[in-house]
Amino acid sequence: MSVPNGVPAASADAPSLPPVVGINFGNSYASIAVFTKEGIAECIANEDGERQIACAISFHGEEMYIGNQAKHQLVKNHENTITGFRNLLGKKFSEVPQTKSPISAVVIQHPTLPDEPAYKVKVLQASPSPLPPSTATNTPAASVAPTPRSEPIPSERILIVSEVTTIFIKSLVQSAEDFLGTKVQGAVITVPAWFTQSQKDALSKVATEAGVNVIQLLEENAAAAATTTTELWSSDLRPDRTQLLVDLGSSSLHISLLSISTGLAHVLASSSTTDVGADQLDDALIRFFGADFTKKTKVALTVAPATDTTDRRAEAKLRLAIEHTKRTISASPGAATCSVESLKDGFDYTGTVNRMRFDMLARPVYSAVSNAVSTLLQNAEIDAHDVDEIVYIGGTPCLPGLNDHLLLAAGFREDVDTPFSLGTVVGGGVGDPTTILARGAASQAALVATMPEDEDKAELKTAYQGVSNLNDVAVVTRTLGVLFPGQVENDVDGLGGVWVPIVLKETPLPARRTVRFDVGLSDASKKFAFEVWEVSEGIRVEKVKPPKVVYSDDEGEPEEEEEEEEIDVKHKTVKKEVFLGLVEAEAKLGVQAKGKGPDAGKWTSTVDVRLIVSAEGSLDVEVKEVGAEGPVASLRVAAS
Amino acid sequence: MTTVLQITTPPLPASYSGPSTSKATISRPTTRQLLPAGTAHLQHLRLLHHHASDFAAHDEHYASLEQQREEERKRAAQLSAEDDLGVGDEEEHPDLLSLDPKEWKKHDYYAVLGLSKYRYKATPEQIKVANRKKVLKHHPDKKATPTDKDATSLIYGTVNTNDDAFFKCIAKAHETLSNPEKRRQYDSVDHDFVEQWEDVPSATEIKARMSKSSKPNDYFFRTLGPVFELYSRFSRAQPVPQLGLEDASKEDVEAFYDFWYNLDSWRSFEWLDKEVNEGSDSRDDKRYTEKKNKSERARRKKEDTAKVRGLVDLALSLDPRIKRIKQEEKAAREAKKAASRAGTPGVNGKANAKPSKEEEERKKKEEEEKKVAEEAAKAEAKKAKAAAATAAKKARRAARAAEEGGAA
Repeated sequence: MSVPNGVPAASADAPSLPPVVGINFGNSYASIAVFTKEGIAECIANEDGERQIACAISFHGEEMYIGNQAKHQLVKNHENTITGFRNLLGKKFSEVPQTKSPISAVVIQHPTLPDEPAYKVKVLQASPSPLPPSTATNTPAASVAPTPRSEPIPSERILIVSEVTTIFIKSLVQSAEDFLGTKVQGAVITVPAWFTQSQKDALSKVATEAGVNVIQLLEENAAAAATTTTELWSSDLRPDRTQLLVDLGSSSLHISLLSISTGLAHVLASSSTTDVGADQLDDALIRFFGADFTKKTKVALTVAPATDTTDRRAEAKLRLAIEHTKRTISASPGAATCSVESLKDGFDYTGTVNRMRFDMLARPVYSAVSNAVSTLLQNAEIDAHDVDEIVYIGGTPCLPGLNDHLLLAAGFREDVDTPFSLGTVVGGGVGDPTTILARGAASQAALVATMPEDEDKAELKTAYQGVSNLNDVAVVTRTLGVLFPGQVENDVDGLGGVWVPIVLKETPLPARRTVRFDVGLSDASKKFAFEVWEVSEGIRVEKVKPPKVVYSDDEGEPEEEEEEEEIDVKHKTVKKEVFLGLVEAEAKLGVQAKGKGPDAGKWTSTVDVRLIVSAEGSLDVEVKEVGAEGPVASLRVAAS
Repeated sequence: MTTVLQITTPPLPASYSGPSTSKATISRPTTRQLLPAGTAHLQHLRLLHHHASDFAAHDEHYASLEQQREEERKRAAQLSAEDDLGVGDEEEHPDLLSLDPKEWKKHDYYAVLGLSKYRYKATPEQIKVANRKKVLKHHPDKKATPTDKDATSLIYGTVNTNDDAFFKCIAKAHETLSNPEKRRQYDSVDHDFVEQWEDVPSATEIKARMSKSSKPNDYFFRTLGPVFELYSRFSRAQPVPQLGLEDASKEDVEAFYDFWYNLDSWRSFEWLDKEVNEGSDSRDDKRYTEKKNKSERARRKKEDTAKVRGLVDLALSLDPRIKRIKQEEKAAREAKKAASRAGTPGVNGKANAKPSKEEEERKKKEEEEKKVAEEAAKAEAKKAKAAAATAAKKARRAARAAEEGGAA
């Protein structure tokens, strides 16, 4: 057989999808996803079996390690190991902050190129290859043994940031190609929202050098939206909702508030900080285990920050080991262990941490996140009560402690949807925070790659390059809806009727929404009428005493007058702002409720109320009875 | 897309008068940047730039696209139908998918392989294609893809019920149908055939119905035609002459009855054999079961043959064409006679007055003559036989005498 084992044959029933991949390229970790035949974007593992591939490259002798293998080199070979290079892409040396105690190779000024950050690594250069073996035609060799290879020459290699990135992206694409069995024809790569144009240009250049056709550089927010707006995400969520994205990476925290209306997403507010990250969590955990080690073995160990060389090595070892500890604690409610062989002075270490202790250690990070969320909501003038869904991104939010803390500390609604409440985090579900971005990028890649060829394909594609104003969109500033006048119980807002919101605020225009419900008809004329209003929404805070718990065992005793704390209960309020018109109609298909209930004998009819708001701001209201032909009433409000 | 709300609005109060109509407009929209991702975004762009924000045109465009896709799918299905020798895709009833592989003897293998429309007519190639199709679809390795939408939303990709029951059924069906001997046994007791065969009305029923029917002939062909057609599959000789219609020729009718009285059927009943009790190593046990099975097979075969024979008998006895043919024959004979007499010289118009009498007399005479001749011939033959016997005796005696003489 001429075909070596392991090379996949060209499949006969090749999927119609072009082989495209989505790459989530973070500063610390990257992941790759492909679009499978089943129509699902799936995060794939590289040849080491890692879905989260560390952004690290290490040089050791003649070998080059990429990914998680390179991370292990941080223990003994940290000066030849390069990490954290993504954020330096497209930056000048003078813009790069110098770290005091680097845990990996130092960023230096390139010796020849002006103002260019670079890395210097020691490598062993392969010596010139020995003479080719002799054949019958030329002089016979003196001995049967091959000429011994001469020693490799130790040398130094200067690598600029873009070279490092090229090597890394090449390895990612290679992994994807190994998985797909075909050449990758295009990729969507995620970039943080704060990337400047020059950084984006640098990344596209690097990708081109690595032999990747970049379909789109996708903002991380957009990649998340691409995943969360699919049907697979959850069928129970409302199509119009406010979504909070919490992206906690190892070195930074990004929070964005998105408005999602039937799949269209735009950012309401966002904030980003590099002060909070999982690295702080790691440091706390390392200090905890370090202290535990000292307690158990009476060997002094100062870690995070470590000064001594042996301490530094111990810290590097712990840093690798706690990866596993964190994963265990995310996955199971019990305690997680951390084991390191020969941590210091030949002493092994095995320690455990339970979830309570872990959450205590992580509390500073958790509070930093919840503070950042509160600040963002305050600045955006949006109440936590208005947030419908929280989506987590990154490895750290897999810890359930963060979700619990955030829900309490920032005061979200009790019924706010999170991947934890939807139960989609465990078992590689759709809500898995570590793979959301890569999957979003893959589905976007598939979408753009399969765009039908028509006259405006080229024009539409410019929307993905970020060079046209196609993505600018008008949004309504206040909620539009209809009010059915009548007597209602508990009319706290004083609206004098039943309010049905239809087009919510921040809905991109043009918008069309249809709502179906039952209208009550007046007995005599089968008439119904409603007012169309523009309203402003707010939050009313009500102080409620918690319901008293009566214990059965203190019967007969006079109850103590306890000062009970009042709790805030938030309600959404609606205030009428602009009256837009009145719609009156006569129902043809009214039905009378039968039976003996309280509603017996009342006439109702099911109607569809449709609101269309054009891009200019004109409004069309149309009422249709379900089952009848043609609208029964309509109203048009011209644009201002 | 319609949002359905579970609310009922209060009826309009009688005293209601709306607020004064205003010329108000909605507040001015603000501008935002959309995130360029997702299908909804692409549709939004199309709506804006392809259809000039006209929802109706946009809907129409998508409806037409959907239609196109549907047509393409159909065409693709047709194309693949040509490739797959017309096996096609049969709908799989949930009952079918929940078959118990342990009950394999009771399964409908053609339904399992999706060949219900071909059944015994399915070619080995078709069976192969159908098996491959089903295996591709139901292989346990493929069960990872969720089929249930609720399961999808929870954990996709990991829904593996590890349910390979139906796959086992497919394997069994293919094993049986791809082996000609086993297939013959299975086809002999195919569910589909057995059901129809049991529905065949009994002889008395047919007779009763026929006598009641206003169009007995019609009823005869309508009822018995399909019965013979149904059973023809078991004939070793193909094609099988069918009952035909009322106006079939004499040759056809005769060929039909001739064929069916000498029917060579391959139907056999091994499939219904009782399994030898498993785990029992007793040779006696095995032999006993085998013996029983053999006799049972023979009994069933006999029953089956008898049933077919009965049906042929019934058909023959009720066949309106047989009566017609007899009448025709008689008429032909008479016509022939008439013709021959008309052609005899010496017969003139005077003799025409009593031709039948003369004819009869002649016939009688002829018959008598014939009889006499026959008897004579018989007697002669007897005589000849006796003569031959005596001659042989004589010859034997002479031979013996000669022998004795020789010995002496």
